[in-house]
Amino acid sequence: MLQRASLKRRLLELVLAAIALIWLGTAAFTYHDAREEFDELLDAHLAQAAALLVVQTSHELDEIETEHTAMPHKYSPRIAFQVWEGGKILRIHSSNAPSQHLAKREEGFSDSIIDNQGWRVYSSWDGSGEYLIQVAERADVREELARTIARNLLQPVLISLPLLAILLWVAVARGLHPLVKLTREVEQREPDNLAPLNAGAAPREVVPLIERLNRLFIRIAASMQRERRFTADAAHELRTPVAAIKAQAQVAQAAFSKEERMHALDNAILGCDRATHLIEQLLTLSRLDTLEGGVAEPCLLKDVASEVIASLAPVALEKGVRLELLADDEAFLRCNPELLRVLLRNLLDNSIKHTATGTSVQVKISREAGVISMSVSDDGPGIPEQELKKVSERFYRPLGTQASGSGLGLSIVKRIAEVHNASLQIGAARNGRGLRVTVLFKQQRKMAGTDGGESSMFPTQSTD
Amino acid sequence: MRILLVEDDALLGDALQVGLRQSGYAVDWMKDGVTAEQALTTEPYTAVVLDLGLPRLSGLELLKHLRSRNTHKGAPSSKHTPVLILTARDTVDDRIKGLDAGADDYLVKPFDMGELTARLRALIRRASGSASPELQTEAGVTLDPAAHRVLYHDKPVELSAKEFAVLHALMLNAGKVMSRAQLEEQLYAWGEEVESNAVEVHIHHLRRKLFPELIETIRGVGYLLPRGKGA
Repeated sequence: MLQRASLKRRLLELVLAAIALIWLGTAAFTYHDAREEFDELLDAHLAQAAALLVVQTSHELDEIETEHTAMPHKYSPRIAFQVWEGGKILRIHSSNAPSQHLAKREEGFSDSIIDNQGWRVYSSWDGSGEYLIQVAERADVREELARTIARNLLQPVLISLPLLAILLWVAVARGLHPLVKLTREVEQREPDNLAPLNAGAAPREVVPLIERLNRLFIRIAASMQRERRFTADAAHELRTPVAAIKAQAQVAQAAFSKEERMHALDNAILGCDRATHLIEQLLTLSRLDTLEGGVAEPCLLKDVASEVIASLAPVALEKGVRLELLADDEAFLRCNPELLRVLLRNLLDNSIKHTATGTSVQVKISREAGVISMSVSDDGPGIPEQELKKVSERFYRPLGTQASGSGLGLSIVKRIAEVHNASLQIGAARNGRGLRVTVLFKQQRKMAGTDGGESSMFPTQSTD
Repeated sequence: MRILLVEDDALLGDALQVGLRQSGYAVDWMKDGVTAEQALTTEPYTAVVLDLGLPRLSGLELLKHLRSRNTHKGAPSSKHTPVLILTARDTVDDRIKGLDAGADDYLVKPFDMGELTARLRALIRRASGSASPELQTEAGVTLDPAAHRVLYHDKPVELSAKEFAVLHALMLNAGKVMSRAQLEEQLYAWGEEVESNAVEVHIHHLRRKLFPELIETIRGVGYLLPRGKGA
């Protein structure tokens, strides 16, 4: 399982790291600064001590008999001095001073190591140039001082950081409370509760999240509503054909004559066919509802149309209806050919069903100004103007339709058109008579760049 | 017994028409609400079988119009005609709506033809003011609408569907004179050829199969099945 980073922990770590970094930076700077300051101060003391010694040496050296002096202070062992006569003979030195030169004979500050002991030395000649005075301080004094300063700087940090961490933890937890609350609210919801979340007291940063969630809820609710209505409608739509089958079967059982029984049984079979058709249409529609994309295959509309017309020719022939195809040979389209066949089959089914015997149903595929259109026209009763808007609604059947359809054909056509980014025009065919349904395929952007080069891009497919 | 069937579905309507005829009813089949309403204003129906999802005028609307209509002179009173609704909507709410609109009973699709005819018989019986399923005369004739059976002194009598229907109508209206036209309306649906002397022939057969005094002819007016003498 993926170990998710905790927002709380992350915030805490970042804030603590930032604080520690700034603290350390300040400490380093302070340490460095302090070190420089006390180096200078101590150097000044060394120089001062040397100067005092120079003065004393020139006046009182003759009276000083001891070779070395006493230790008046606990830091005394760390400070040493030598007085060299003529720079060569060691006349006086502190007890802790070595017998060799603490440093070279040049005047000024220098660092030296004698017997593994580091010294900071200040050398000075007296005015007459007779004596060389060297005052030294052990280097570890400075190290110790530096350590003390560093310790004093770091100690509070080490003590306060854990304390700070605890306080920060509480603060971050409080800060993130709205998120936690939101999570809990979403968590405790029933799966079908899609009421909007209350953004009331939420902080500014969380509001967009709540808004997005609410928008998502609305979309899901709408889609669930659609689904539910569709299922309910479908169930109800199936009741009538099933009722018809059952009633016909019972009529057959109770029939007085053979003719009556055969009539009822024929009708029962017809009812089964109708129910099957309705179920198929329902399945097509529900598949279409969940379909996404899949329209990228280039095809020649003429091929699709002639295939569908060939498959429906027997039905048309039986009814005495002529099927005609007028197609542009260059009408290529990126499409899902399977869906386009379903679309055309539905339109032709409708037209064959409703047009009068002896008339014709025409499929026309044309290409004008780059817009490809496919229309199916018939000589049937058409649809009254006031009902045109309703025809593509699910389960709508125009009045007086003797042939009993599923009421889903045009819904399916509409949905397939949508998938292909095409629009539907439904109106009278000729002279205000009959019905014409036109599918207008909007200019396909992907195709626009290859305009004129279509035939080279999609080699002509066989039309048989 | 003339029934108005209002159903827009071709296959279901066909089955109902044939099925109701098999049970001895004359059936007029209308396929939309408006023509059904027109039929109701001109013809007397024993009962109405009404689908709710109708084109032009919904079943519920039709029912409301029917129940609120004022009986006016000359027009047959259909305000109280029993109505059985057929519905694909099976929620309690839908049923309440149907009953509130004035339906006497309802059936949810798909239904059983036997149940449909049984409920129709019950509705017709209730409308005629009799709670007993069997009709009897003092003279010993018993008519059982459900079994489609007539007994005379406990012996079964073979009757045709039309003879049965005439007898049923007369027994339901015992003591009242029924004109020939009224009886014909009960026997024939629209478009059915009415033989000129069909009613006379049926009456004749009934008298022969049962007994001559069963039905009295009121010359120039119609026929009468007398209520039991002294009853």
